[in-house]
Amino acid sequence: MWSDSLLIVFISVCTAFLGEGLTWILVYRTEKYQKLKVEVERQSKKLEKRKEAHGDSLDKQHKKKIEREEERLKNNNRDLSLVKMKSMFAIGFAFTALLSMFNSIFDGRVVAKLPFYPISWIQGLSHRNLPGDDYTDCSFIFLYILCTMSIRQNIQKLLGFAPSRAASKQGGALFAAPPAQFK
Amino acid sequence: MATKNKSIDSTNKGKLTESVWKKAFTANTEWPDKEEFLDVIYWMRQAIGIVLGLCWGLLPLKGFLGLLLFVVVNAAVIYFYVNNFQNVDEEEYGGMWEITKEGFVTSFAGFLVTWIIVYTGLHGDTL
Repeated sequence: MWSDSLLIVFISVCTAFLGEGLTWILVYRTEKYQKLKVEVERQSKKLEKRKEAHGDSLDKQHKKKIEREEERLKNNNRDLSLVKMKSMFAIGFAFTALLSMFNSIFDGRVVAKLPFYPISWIQGLSHRNLPGDDYTDCSFIFLYILCTMSIRQNIQKLLGFAPSRAASKQGGALFAAPPAQFK
Repeated sequence: MATKNKSIDSTNKGKLTESVWKKAFTANTEWPDKEEFLDVIYWMRQAIGIVLGLCWGLLPLKGFLGLLLFVVVNAAVIYFYVNNFQNVDEEEYGGMWEITKEGFVTSFAGFLVTWIIVYTGLHGDTL
């Protein structure tokens, strides 16, 4: 059982690196992406500062300026998402295939023992395709999702591919990178 | 005390450079770059998650108590670090809630993984 759980951690480290590597080849290293990223970050910071400085003032001129900048940032964010989209789809497909392969390898196998009793809406994941009623048995998919959540995000941050805080704050959900590829 | 060389590039990359390490472990450091401080909080959280996961697995702590204790200890360590060790004005960062949120989900996932794996390795087969 233990070797299975360690293997899953290893698999998710590999897939995280593979995912980031592929995204780097297809997206991050392109000039268009880099330009847009720098632009979005610059604008987000500028906008944040402006909002802090004039956030409460009722001055119409300032409000208009802020609105105009927000609009520009939105457009840039949209362009950035479009640049990412194509390759994300390709990577998404590749990973779905990989995931289903691992799923069938680990089908019906208890890969770990949970030290807690999962709440009912998590049991569907944590006990997926497992025999018996012992809900502290953990399925492949649950452990893999947890590993991906922590490992991928940290690798992204370590490699400098995670979106900056200012950009994700201003850009909201549109620019925020999805934490995992387990769709 | 505080080296004020703003390493914008390094903070954008989310890595902690040598000077940041020094600043992180020096009390009452000035943080001219907010991102740098938030990065310190982020990585500290990840470390706490893994250390607590190891401890809870070794003990072993089980059930809801383990989860609750993790949340409490994690928040308390960060609160103490921000307010008593670094004496940072939390309002500059959008309030204590923003700091408390920083890297929490990733840290929680890291904690669960470590806890589950250590627990499985030490106690899984005897169950």
